[in-house]
Amino acid sequence: MEAVVNIYIVEKNFLLRSGLEGLISEIPGLILKEVFEGIEKNLFEKLTQKKPDVIIIDPDSVGDNFINLISKLQDEPDIKLIGLKREDCPENICSRFKYQLPYDANKHILLEKLREACGSDAFLIKNKQGPLSKREIVVLKEVVKGLTNQEVADKLFLSIHTVMTHRKNITKKLGIKTVSGLMVYALMNNIIDINEVV
Amino acid sequence: MLIVGEMKLAEVIHHDYNLVPVINRFDIPLGFGDGTIKQICAQRNVNLEFFLSILNTFHDEQYFPKDYLKSFPASLIINYLHKAHTYYLDEKIPQIKSMISKLFDLSEGNKKTLNLLSNFFNDYCKEFELHVAREEKEVYPYVLKLEEALDNSENQTMLDKDLLNYSIRTYEQDHEDVEEKLFDMKSLIIKYLPPENANNNIFEEVSYALLRELFVLEKELKEHSRIEDLILVPKVEGMEEQFKSNF
Ligand SMILES: [Fe+2]
Ligand SMILES: [Fe+2]
Repeated sequence: MEAVVNIYIVEKNFLLRSGLEGLISEIPGLILKEVFEGIEKNLFEKLTQKKPDVIIIDPDSVGDNFINLISKLQDEPDIKLIGLKREDCPENICSRFKYQLPYDANKHILLEKLREACGSDAFLIKNKQGPLSKREIVVLKEVVKGLTNQEVADKLFLSIHTVMTHRKNITKKLGIKTVSGLMVYALMNNIIDINEVV
Repeated sequence: MLIVGEMKLAEVIHHDYNLVPVINRFDIPLGFGDGTIKQICAQRNVNLEFFLSILNTFHDEQYFPKDYLKSFPASLIINYLHKAHTYYLDEKIPQIKSMISKLFDLSEGNKKTLNLLSNFFNDYCKEFELHVAREEKEVYPYVLKLEEALDNSENQTMLDKDLLNYSIRTYEQDHEDVEEKLFDMKSLIIKYLPPENANNNIFEEVSYALLRELFVLEKELKEHSRIEDLILVPKVEGMEEQFKSNF
């Protein structure tokens, strides 16, 4: 049921890294995928290969290579960059980040900034919400009659893969996992009639 | 936090009130004073190692009790699990059932919905009873017999070949989730229970209480299953190995 924002960290300092990990774990929907120290070879390739949503970078960890790396990362439109910002961070470096986590900020502010950078409500943005689509309702009707995925697919002329995708989305949207739970939902909302299922 | 014998039991309970039903199941009544876990276990004749592993399993989802496994008899685990079953079946479930029927009585416009919820929960209870019955009638007697055979292993005539026909792995493999439907029940109440008249305050109150009970039961059952999977099963696997080597 979780929405997911995948995050990478580039930070060599253990204490800072643990702090970042702690912050990330407090926001539902954010998942820390990988941690780098900043000195890895081909860091740019490693960072972009798996298409993270957000990268948190400490310029100090990358060293001389920083400007080169950040220029390339800025060309990646789908990756958001967050920089750790020391008080004495030179302008030419910290101006590279749209989002910044200041060293001296308190926890509350850091959480706010992180949440803002990751999309104000990670849960809502990535999670399909709202009422079921017409297609999903049609599938739901068949599922609660006790048909298997394959039978639903045959009956509605859909591929089994499509049926499974619909089922996943139905469960996600409703927060109901079992067939009998879905049946109660369908009856409660008059999607089916009791006579259709007995 | 890892709970250890030198800690004061009262402090531990303050720290994590989810442990209250556990101490209750070990027959440690409230008002137990200021003692450490070790002292209280000694006073009340509770197996310290076993008590600690149950407390830790409840307290920390990451906890894996491998170090303690060998130090207490399987009959203790079974005694504990049996008590928990009785508690769910004789107390928790009837309590939830009566809340649902109270809601039904209080409802002015929702009788149909409450009927559906009530049937859903009753079906769930039947499944749960079957689940428990299998454990109580098939699995636990096997484990107790196995333990008895091992305790008497000098006496070769006591070795019961039938015990070789069963394996705890069968149980482990089809030991299914019992909380899934409770989760659904919560979703149905939280998201889809149609509102009653604004002045039907008692209805509101009871439905909140019901929801809270479902959360508690779901969490309890999750921990219960983890005790079965992480404490009982590995323990019995060890016993089976030992038993086979006696032949
Ligand atoms: Fe059980
Ligand atoms: Fe079980």
